Amino acid sequence: MTNPSRQTLLGSLPASFDSGPEWLRALRGRAADALREQGLPTKRTEAWRFTPVRSVVDAEFSREEESAPSLVSAVPEGVAVRSLRQVLQAEPELLAGRLDLGGAPTHFAALNTALFSDGLWIDVPAGTAGEAPIELAHAISTSSERGVAYPRVLVTLGDNAELTLIETYAGGEAEQLTNSVVEVDLGRNAKMSHVRVHENAGLQVGRVDVRQGADSSYRSTVVTLGGALLRFDVRCLLQGKGAECQLDGAYLIDGEDHVDHHTLVEHQASHCRSAQTYRGIASGKGTAVFDGIVVVHRDAQKTEAHQENRNLLLSDTATVHTKPHLEIDADDVVCSHGVTVGSLDQEQLFYLRARGIPEDLAHSMLTYAFLKTIVDRVSHEPTRARMREALLTRLPHGDDIEGVA
Amino acid sequence: MLKIEDLHVEVDGKPILKGINLEIEAGQVHAIMGPNGSGKSTLAYVLAGREGYDVTKGRVLYKGQDLLEMAPEMRAAEGLFLGFQYPVAIPGVSNIYFLKAALNAVRKHRGEEPLDAIDFMKLSKEKAALVQLPDELTKRCVNDGFSGGEKKRNEIFQMAVLEPSLAVLDETDSGLDIDALKVVAEGVNSLRGPERAMLVITHYQRLLDYIVPDTVHVLIDGQIVRTGDKDLAKQLEREGYADVQGAQQL
Repeated sequence: MTNPSRQTLLGSLPASFDSGPEWLRALRGRAADALREQGLPTKRTEAWRFTPVRSVVDAEFSREEESAPSLVSAVPEGVAVRSLRQVLQAEPELLAGRLDLGGAPTHFAALNTALFSDGLWIDVPAGTAGEAPIELAHAISTSSERGVAYPRVLVTLGDNAELTLIETYAGGEAEQLTNSVVEVDLGRNAKMSHVRVHENAGLQVGRVDVRQGADSSYRSTVVTLGGALLRFDVRCLLQGKGAECQLDGAYLIDGEDHVDHHTLVEHQASHCRSAQTYRGIASGKGTAVFDGIVVVHRDAQKTEAHQENRNLLLSDTATVHTKPHLEIDADDVVCSHGVTVGSLDQEQLFYLRARGIPEDLAHSMLTYAFLKTIVDRVSHEPTRARMREALLTRLPHGDDIEGVA
Repeated sequence: MLKIEDLHVEVDGKPILKGINLEIEAGQVHAIMGPNGSGKSTLAYVLAGREGYDVTKGRVLYKGQDLLEMAPEMRAAEGLFLGFQYPVAIPGVSNIYFLKAALNAVRKHRGEEPLDAIDFMKLSKEKAALVQLPDELTKRCVNDGFSGGEKKRNEIFQMAVLEPSLAVLDETDSGLDIDALKVVAEGVNSLRGPERAMLVITHYQRLLDYIVPDTVHVLIDGQIVRTGDKDLAKQLEREGYADVQGAQQL
């Protein structure tokens, strides 16, 4: 029995786009054309080699209409949070030239671009510091239908503006797909702290695309606690001189989770700094993937770029694929990268045991500490506390180590 | 308290300790002096139960029990303490949490009730003052970002909280300037008592000016070549290890 409202992802692309402003119709048309030409990723697609999405690509989904995230905090003074749908109807010229992902929407992000129907635009005008964080909750419908949602968020910060954004992607049913895109545009000397939490993610594909003006700062902390199939890409384009970004991530996987984090940092201007620290714990039959690329363009002299991925393997049946890499075309740069996949530090373990702490408790303490150093970088205290709790709940002997730090 | 009998230890197939005999009674402080590579740290690690050391011969009795059969945490619970030469940093685990967990594990072993947070903080403050360890450091992560001197003071602070029966202090003086050395030594001295034994391992005599031992052993090439009173340390300082070893062989 087939459900007539269900379609494959590519099959749901319309032949033409007839509503909305002209520039948006053109944008969607280009995204759809690109998709029809390149298709969705297969296992032969290099960037998707370790993350098989055939089951998603071949599956039929019904479309979730309500896909805009919910605003679950107050909006700080001076900051505007508006519905994308409404702005596109009433004042579409405000968004012209936005929403194009820097001109290169690919794969799932192209699909989102072609099909999103609503979302949020968070606009922080020049000189405005949004003191309190904005919190968004993404949760797709709890209906038992196999559904797909295309949440879309645009964040624009004017010169010298500041914002903390907390996003939570809570679990849907394992067969519900969330394909999200968040675009961030940072003006000169703008500062943004972005916390993104994936909890019990079902099927999730997400992309964050950041374009940074001179002297701007973007700090991202991503915490991923489980996921049947999660792929998350962050791309930072350091376009203005002196911009900096810090991308941190923590992932904890178990069971048959499959969690894939990709980062791409492009140093396009001089005197920019980037630092990435991703840490993960893989147990059960889980698979973790980390792929990080730093590209330093020829004119990006005085670049400083660091990248680190450390993994703890807690079972013989868990798998970690990690691939940090650098592509450097400038000569006056300081770059480093490092990767480890291993077990707990034996010296630390012995130190704890030599003080009387039983071996299993020492294991728990060190396992928790391994991810906690990343979770501690979450800039929003209530979220930080919640993440610590969530880690403790998921780790073996978590109850015994409450208050470890 | 501690009786080491004909202890032979190898690391990666290479003999390091070649027949150590040593007996320490409660209330005594023994010093082991020796040049680099003589096996001092190996002895300390073997006593604490670190992996990677193969005991090929001999035995160690601690309070009448076979020490070498016990897991490291069991040795600690039974009152053995190793002051590390190079204490490892543990980012993500706070000093105070770690020490509370350690103390309560030891108390549990002794059949005592765990200390609650308030009582523990009181105890911790009191003991930290003993080695002038700033409050801020007790709250940081274990040895994370500590200077060499701060790490050593942290070791003695832990010892003060855990109140061991036998303390093995491995080169507690290394990396300390004279002021820090005095603070650490005073901390150690305040913990001397009729129920507690100490084994102080050092390269230099300097530490023994401040922690005056009852007995001094000279360890060279995996064997104790001389045993004497505190004056032996002074003699070593004057004449060097080579002469002491030479005299032994005559």
